[in-house]
Amino acid sequence: MEEKRQRESYGLWTWIGLAVLTLAAMLIAVCVGSVSIPVGECLRVFRDALTGTEASDPGTASILLAVRLPRVLCVALSGAALSVCGAAMQGLLKNPLADGSTLGISSGASLGAALAIAFGFQLPQLPFSGSMILAALFAFGSLILILSLSYMLDSSFSTNTIILMGIVYSMFVSSILSLVVTFAPDKLKQITFWTMGSLEGSSYQNALVLFVMLAVCGTVLIRLAEELNAFAIGEENAMNVGVNVKRVRLVILVTVSLLIGTCVSIGGTIGFVGLVTPHIIRLLTGPNHRRLLPASMFGGAAFLTLADLAARTIARPLELPIGVVTSFVGAILFVLIYYKVGRTAR
Amino acid sequence: MKGKIWLIAVLIALVLLCTGCGKAPQAQSRTVTDMKGRDIVLNGDVMRVVALTAADCEILYAIGAGDALVGRGEYCDYPEAALSLPAVQSGAGTNIEQIIALTPQVVFMDTMAQGVEQIEALEAAGVRVVVSDAVDLEGVYESVSLIGTVMNREREATEVIDGMKQTFQDLSDKAAAHTDKPSVYFEISPLKDGLWTAGAGTFMDEAASLLGAKNVFGDVSGWAGISEEQVIQRNPGYIVTTTKYLGTGPTPEQEIAGRVGWEHLSAVKDGHILNLSDDSLTRPGPRLADGAKQLFHFLYGEK
Repeated sequence: MEEKRQRESYGLWTWIGLAVLTLAAMLIAVCVGSVSIPVGECLRVFRDALTGTEASDPGTASILLAVRLPRVLCVALSGAALSVCGAAMQGLLKNPLADGSTLGISSGASLGAALAIAFGFQLPQLPFSGSMILAALFAFGSLILILSLSYMLDSSFSTNTIILMGIVYSMFVSSILSLVVTFAPDKLKQITFWTMGSLEGSSYQNALVLFVMLAVCGTVLIRLAEELNAFAIGEENAMNVGVNVKRVRLVILVTVSLLIGTCVSIGGTIGFVGLVTPHIIRLLTGPNHRRLLPASMFGGAAFLTLADLAARTIARPLELPIGVVTSFVGAILFVLIYYKVGRTAR
Repeated sequence: MKGKIWLIAVLIALVLLCTGCGKAPQAQSRTVTDMKGRDIVLNGDVMRVVALTAADCEILYAIGAGDALVGRGEYCDYPEAALSLPAVQSGAGTNIEQIIALTPQVVFMDTMAQGVEQIEALEAAGVRVVVSDAVDLEGVYESVSLIGTVMNREREATEVIDGMKQTFQDLSDKAAAHTDKPSVYFEISPLKDGLWTAGAGTFMDEAASLLGAKNVFGDVSGWAGISEEQVIQRNPGYIVTTTKYLGTGPTPEQEIAGRVGWEHLSAVKDGHILNLSDDSLTRPGPRLADGAKQLFHFLYGEK
């Protein structure tokens, strides 16, 4: 017991470090952007906003408060959500390749968004656009479909079956996406926007939705950390230590799909964050999910914030889709880390 | 293969003879050079054509050769008469068989996504391919003139070109009387789908500069995705959106005016937002002059 407490207090510095890193990334992302605003000017705008004083330069104030800040918040929250989902999936399915995208949840969600765009699905008098609603519904529906198909094939819900179904489903969805684009070629740009992912045009409302979902789903996942630890050793082990394997797995999968569906509905499919960050964080915290899950949230938030910063600034005044940056950086990081870890292990 | 070409040539000749029965048949062959620099030999009058691009389709109608159209690309939607023609796939999905089935003498297409193989296959089937791909106003005059030559309607083509030139000259002269240079932002794709604008080298940019206005994204080349922050910082006095209104929810103008953080833009404060969703300023055809007129009226408040 004493030893355990020691280990946990040792982790305190890791927490502080991660929190500082995340906040620093967010601060940089707010102060640096497509339009250059000096730090002093940034601080003045925030002071004015907090004290309720009339902004001296309404243009700069709009850029910071109405465009940049909500976007940075949404990016950080999406990064945190996608990473914690990735970490939970990897533990649950004991598969280092598990992630919202490999399980078909993200593709399902983007199909929903694409259909809404192609057929002009729109619910009037609703704060969310049609594409958002369909994305969330399809994320959930895809999960149900994948799970029931896996169950039909293999009633023990083996992880390999689920992963395989997810990959098959993703391919199926991508063919339907191409079909939708063929029939609505003028919507190609809009659909690409969704499949590449972007948090352009995020609002505080989006950030609030993400925050609530992350708080609820994140808590559920972290409370199941011990069960995830058992899963990570093996399904049989989990069963032996008294985990209700089927129930826990269902709860985790539903939670993850809800969270991913929300993310996709707001920012489109952003690849690689959920896959790469947990691996990097695992090097820091070790495989214990009680530490891995919260740490992945911070790591994902920092990673995606910096990736979005790059997407906004590299080609200014142009803007790149964030998925381009995350996949590019993520893939290189992934190979580098595995190469290094593999060498030291040998 | 050779025999087949002969057979097709004979068939075409027969068709020509029959269709040309009313008037004196023009047997002499002509050579025209298209905008890719290809020499095309035409025998006699051209009576059956297919236009794959919406712009070429509009040009054909503008020079009074609309009757010769036997098919159109799927996006040709102006004038209304064009909609009753059989539609064929165009662009990346161009389908040679569909075109050959319409037995045209000439098909007008642009170079975008048209492979050399497609052109060769059409030529092998006896269909003459004329390429027109205007990227600027001069190019549009050239394609009108080219299509006029192919259709034996040089006089009408010249009238269309002179009319367009006159319109642009008038607008440009009237604009010169205004000393203030309005700044304008063209929005091709709305915020929810990622902002895209028309930069240098687009018809919108060219029209703006002819009308003495400044495209706020004139430093960007072609069509490009841009940051929302940049629009706010560049603070345009006028906004032109090409988003089509689908009939529900806020109109594109209302949607722009209602964006958070955009309320301080001069264009939003003054209500200077125009929805120009009739393709007139994006399509390299005769209606560019109409689009320019609408833009002028929007920028200066006079006809």
